[in-house]
Amino acid sequence: MKVLATYNIKGGVGKTATAVNLAYLAAAAGARVLVWDLDPQGAATFYFRIKPRVKGGGKALVRGRRDLDEVVKGTDYDNLDLVPADFSYRNLDLVLDAAPKPTRRLARVLEPVAAEYDYVILDCPPSISLASESVFEAADALLVPLIPTTLSMRTFDQLDDFLTRTRWRRPPAVLAFFSMVDARKRLHRELMAELRAARTDLLDTEIPSASDVERMGLHRAPVPAVAPRSRSAAAYRALWDEVRARL
Amino acid sequence: MKVARFVLAERDRVEQFVDELVDREHLVRDRPVSWTRVVFDTFDWRLHGHGSVLEHERAGARGQLVWRDRDTGEVLGRFELAEVPRFVWDLPPGPVTDRLAEVVEVRALLPLVTIEGTRTPLRLLDDESKTVARVVVDTATVQGGDSLPPVVEVQPVRGYERQARRLAGVLAAQVVLTPATCDLAETALRSAGFVPGSYSSKLRVQLDPHGTALEAWVTVLRTLLATMEANEAGVLDDLDSEFLHDYRVAVRRTRSVLGQARRVLPASVRDRFRVEFAWLGRETGPTRDFDVFLLEVPRFAARLPAERRPDLEPFRAFLERRQRAAHEALVEVLRSARYEAFLRDWRAFLDDPVVSPQEAPDAPRPATEVAADRIRRAYRRVVRDGRAIHDGSAPEELHELRKDAKKLRYALECYGSLFPAGEVAAVVKDLKGLQDVLGEYQDCQVQAGSLEHFAQEMLEEGTASAAVLITLGYLVEQLDEREAAARRAFEERFARFDAPEAHARMRALLRSGTRPEAA
Repeated sequence: MKVLATYNIKGGVGKTATAVNLAYLAAAAGARVLVWDLDPQGAATFYFRIKPRVKGGGKALVRGRRDLDEVVKGTDYDNLDLVPADFSYRNLDLVLDAAPKPTRRLARVLEPVAAEYDYVILDCPPSISLASESVFEAADALLVPLIPTTLSMRTFDQLDDFLTRTRWRRPPAVLAFFSMVDARKRLHRELMAELRAARTDLLDTEIPSASDVERMGLHRAPVPAVAPRSRSAAAYRALWDEVRARL
Repeated sequence: MKVARFVLAERDRVEQFVDELVDREHLVRDRPVSWTRVVFDTFDWRLHGHGSVLEHERAGARGQLVWRDRDTGEVLGRFELAEVPRFVWDLPPGPVTDRLAEVVEVRALLPLVTIEGTRTPLRLLDDESKTVARVVVDTATVQGGDSLPPVVEVQPVRGYERQARRLAGVLAAQVVLTPATCDLAETALRSAGFVPGSYSSKLRVQLDPHGTALEAWVTVLRTLLATMEANEAGVLDDLDSEFLHDYRVAVRRTRSVLGQARRVLPASVRDRFRVEFAWLGRETGPTRDFDVFLLEVPRFAARLPAERRPDLEPFRAFLERRQRAAHEALVEVLRSARYEAFLRDWRAFLDDPVVSPQEAPDAPRPATEVAADRIRRAYRRVVRDGRAIHDGSAPEELHELRKDAKKLRYALECYGSLFPAGEVAAVVKDLKGLQDVLGEYQDCQVQAGSLEHFAQEMLEEGTASAAVLITLGYLVEQLDEREAAARRAFEERFARFDAPEAHARMRALLRSGTRPEAA
């Protein structure tokens, strides 16, 4: 089982769209996939038309009083399951803080389903917190969408900084890629060229800013399921191929 | 929760049944889908034995290979594929392929039966328009064969089992439905005349403990002949390497049984057929050798540093060429007049074994007694030859011991059903440890020798670059190391086989064969 986490310190960068679309593509190719919606806003849960509620609350889950296995919901797609968001995740830091070995907590909770899934994708809330540290400990790789703006680049540096300053049992691979790219904007093109020159480890795929991604909320379905021949679907497919090759 | 499966009694009532169900349960009806499914398994029914079903389904432009649990209906894996490759290693790499490979291993996936049908997919939605349960109605016909009874399945969605359970309850109460006893694929296989699980590469023979030695010997030999015949077509078509492997094992077992048939079968029969089986052993050897090497290539590659792996490609191509040539020669043998005459005469003898007591004084004796005697002899031989081996023994002596051990193993397998199963298993276990180390020793030695020989041939052909030769040299070195390790392990393994407790187990087995109550 490989654990991936879509993550960015900044919100609104196409993080949930990445989690949902990659999960769909992996499952469609035959892998068994679990998405865990850790964001109390519950966007991934909404996209899959599932009610944002965890039986017994997210706290019980994280504290180990309930097995992940019991709260998993099947999506409308083969091989693709979801652990719904729960409003109690807004207090995840407090819950973790009270738990022993808080940063190891999520990895622990995932253990019982390790044999059942090939990929677990954690869709994380934007921040750097105890919860994110727990995610970093559990994840084999962080999928970091970057909007080509100066601010977004700065938060990437912050993440990098945080990852290098902290001691990890096994640091996650950082797979960053450009998201919501508007190739018509000169600023986007320039910033991307600049960052690509500085960071050779960025993924090649760029996810375009496109209306079919925005319409995910309307259809409440992954882009490749609704518009399989769209440019966005092709971009996510390329991204998944690249991510898989890096794992 | 499992998939709940029902059979609809009347085929012409499907429409009406679906209409009523949709109305009453407020189901959403998706467009009916016409599909064609091909059910796959290996020749020796590995998927069936595993309790799973592998089907390729074509529906419109979509082709999907679906692997599922036969009992629960749970999907174990799924591939989007237009065509099914013959071997698992040609499937897209990934965890599902790895798991399937554990079941199927090197065997070819054979298309067994084609089913054509129409699926009516129905879904139960909740207030978010989320699917919380599925009902699927399939009407199907075996291609060129029988119509199958329509099947209605309730497929649960994880986390929403309550809804599926309720629907299953509703269906169970319908008089037109009866619970299905097996799934569509299995029904289709049986309807097409297959008996899932009917072939196994394990020797399955049940001897009569009250019978005579002649009856036992002939029964074993008939079973082995049946194995050869069952595999012949696959050997000729070279579907996968295991047909020839099983064929050869049957040949070797036959040779071993004939060798232990002194005084049970007439000398004239033994003499003639031992020559023929030895001939078959020889003629089938080269193809098998190349098969083994081709199967080993990925393992060789895994032991090489990544940058050296491409250098193995010319070697693989060489092996493939040689394997094809060897196989062509083998096909000629199996189509020769000599082979035909041999098969005809051997079958004729086994169908009606006429044996006079002068020629074969042991033939009318109790099977159990004679079998115990042959096992005892084979066993004593392994013990004697094994004890004679010391640090300075020549490799040939270990090879002889390996053959002795194999004969003992074959005897235990062929006549084992005359003895209590538990005691046979214990003795086989003792023997297996020794056989493993002897096998590893010889395989490494033979493979290293063959590699050197192949390298020479490739040089002469002009197909070996320096890089290829270096790579092969590297592999030979590794084989030499493994061979040395096996040689070092021998003493300890043999000591375990030769231990007083192991002897006691063998004595118990042989005694149980001569005790009247065992019969």
